[in-house]
Amino acid sequence: MDDLNRHTKALEVGLSPDSVRLRKRLLEITKNTGRGHIGPALSIIEIVDVLYRHVMVNLEDTQSKGWSERDRFLLSKGHGCLGLYIVLEDLGLLDGLDLSNFCSYESNFGGHPESSTVPVIEFSTGSLGHGMPVAVGLAVAAKLKKESWRVFVVVGDGELNEGSNWEAAAHACKHNLDNLVVIVDYNNMQASGEISDVLEMHPLKDKWEAFGFETIEVNGHDREELKQALNTKKSTGSPLCIIAYTVKGKGIKKAENSSVWHHKAKISAEEIDSLILDLRT
Amino acid sequence: MRQTALQTVFELAKQDSRVVFVGSDLGAGTLKEMREELPNQFFMEGISEQYLVGFVAGLAKEGFIPFVNTIANFFTRRAFEQIAMDIALHNLPVRLLASGGGMVYAPLGPTHTAVDDFALMTSVPKLRVFSPGDANEMRELLVYSLNDPQPWYVRFGKGGEPIFSPSHQLEPNKPKLFGDPRAKILFLTTGILIHEVLEAVEELRGTSSFPVSALHFPELTNLEFESWKESYQFARKVIVAEEHIPHGGLFTKVLHSVHAQNLDTKKLVQSSLPFAYLHNYGSQKDHLIAHGLDAIGLAKLARTD
Repeated sequence: MDDLNRHTKALEVGLSPDSVRLRKRLLEITKNTGRGHIGPALSIIEIVDVLYRHVMVNLEDTQSKGWSERDRFLLSKGHGCLGLYIVLEDLGLLDGLDLSNFCSYESNFGGHPESSTVPVIEFSTGSLGHGMPVAVGLAVAAKLKKESWRVFVVVGDGELNEGSNWEAAAHACKHNLDNLVVIVDYNNMQASGEISDVLEMHPLKDKWEAFGFETIEVNGHDREELKQALNTKKSTGSPLCIIAYTVKGKGIKKAENSSVWHHKAKISAEEIDSLILDLRT
Repeated sequence: MRQTALQTVFELAKQDSRVVFVGSDLGAGTLKEMREELPNQFFMEGISEQYLVGFVAGLAKEGFIPFVNTIANFFTRRAFEQIAMDIALHNLPVRLLASGGGMVYAPLGPTHTAVDDFALMTSVPKLRVFSPGDANEMRELLVYSLNDPQPWYVRFGKGGEPIFSPSHQLEPNKPKLFGDPRAKILFLTTGILIHEVLEAVEELRGTSSFPVSALHFPELTNLEFESWKESYQFARKVIVAEEHIPHGGLFTKVLHSVHAQNLDTKKLVQSSLPFAYLHNYGSQKDHLIAHGLDAIGLAKLARTD
């Protein structure tokens, strides 16, 4: 199946009731500021939700004994943080912090995730190309400590323009990090338009495989496909890359595949209400 | 100084399994013994400083204490954002060991001379910035670093410089006074320039009737002004000498400290490298002489009214 067909499938796949509920909450939150990286958040919701709900372990309580054995998650494309915040809230992992004041002066939740204000956030991100090098450090640390937890890092396809990702990819393979999973949110869009109009990343799978990653391609909005791929346990010594074909703005027709919705400002409360009404399973 | 630093890291690593050494293609012989004896605490990574700094942030986040070594500029310029965001924003105990501070790499030209590192690194909150003056001080500082939770940047001055500081200092990061606390001429300096300053002080003592003293600052993050305030107030002339561009380094820090106390700043005299890309080569010493930062130049500056 070629890239175009995979993206068409990602566009066509329906939303589960959970996916609709999470999207409604995401839109409600943006009412407070009337702005946000809505498109990039909507493309990762299923990835993050499946990870936290069905894949990652020992996340229940930051104070618990098992917390040090938890799987680690880094959202390297930090601008998609709304997609992370709503999943954490839905699972009750925010320790009572109030998400409804998103991006206000007193809020713990900014336009990029910060571990100092939201303890369950593993690492602060925002500037692109930082997550993978840190993830490699975490995965090597797990090996040194002989601990079995895994490291998951979500990178954007546009983010792969940053060379530091490829520096880290080379080193991840050098260190045989079979406890590292890189998930590429391949929505085929970046701020200026389609990936191919800015910097062609195709053939993405070949690139990761050339570095030494085992690579799986999935529909990034299909929960079953994601579950199966993310639960792949490796013992071959190579890190895993999951290329998740997604749709920027998934679930909101006027935002889908629209670079205007990469970072949308001046959205009125009425417009958000009408978007919420349009959400369907 | 570099050899002492790396050997100290090896000794610390033997005592404490949290200590790891990370280099960036530093050459086959680097810490060969450590590589063989402690392979799990030794990493020689590729020429990829942005990755390198993010990588050690990940290690530090999991409880390790990475001592990372590469050429100063490749930290401060190439990986500035990683230092600020991955290490300092998260307040992780990474020690950046920066080879070739100042004009050490003068023969290699402006890509390699680190003359703006203090300006860049002191602009990063949480990051402690050090510039030891000899191998003793370097060793003591690195041992002291083991119990400090903050990130560090440490400038390596050069190799084979004489030893001026006593070993087993209780507080290796504190300003060190050489001479009478009540001197008419007071030199303030940091790093290996202390050797030129002390030579200038000797020369002036032999030829002048007025007392001359010097203060060395191994750490630039906090100048501990209260501890030398009296010396500053007593001095007629205070010469700040540094192997750095004119702003963002020791002179800037001194100016801020003095201004905050509402004291006289007119007595301050600055001696630094120019704010420019230097296209001459030669040696570190050649550049110190050319810019009046050698002992003769500094003594001359002290005599000038």
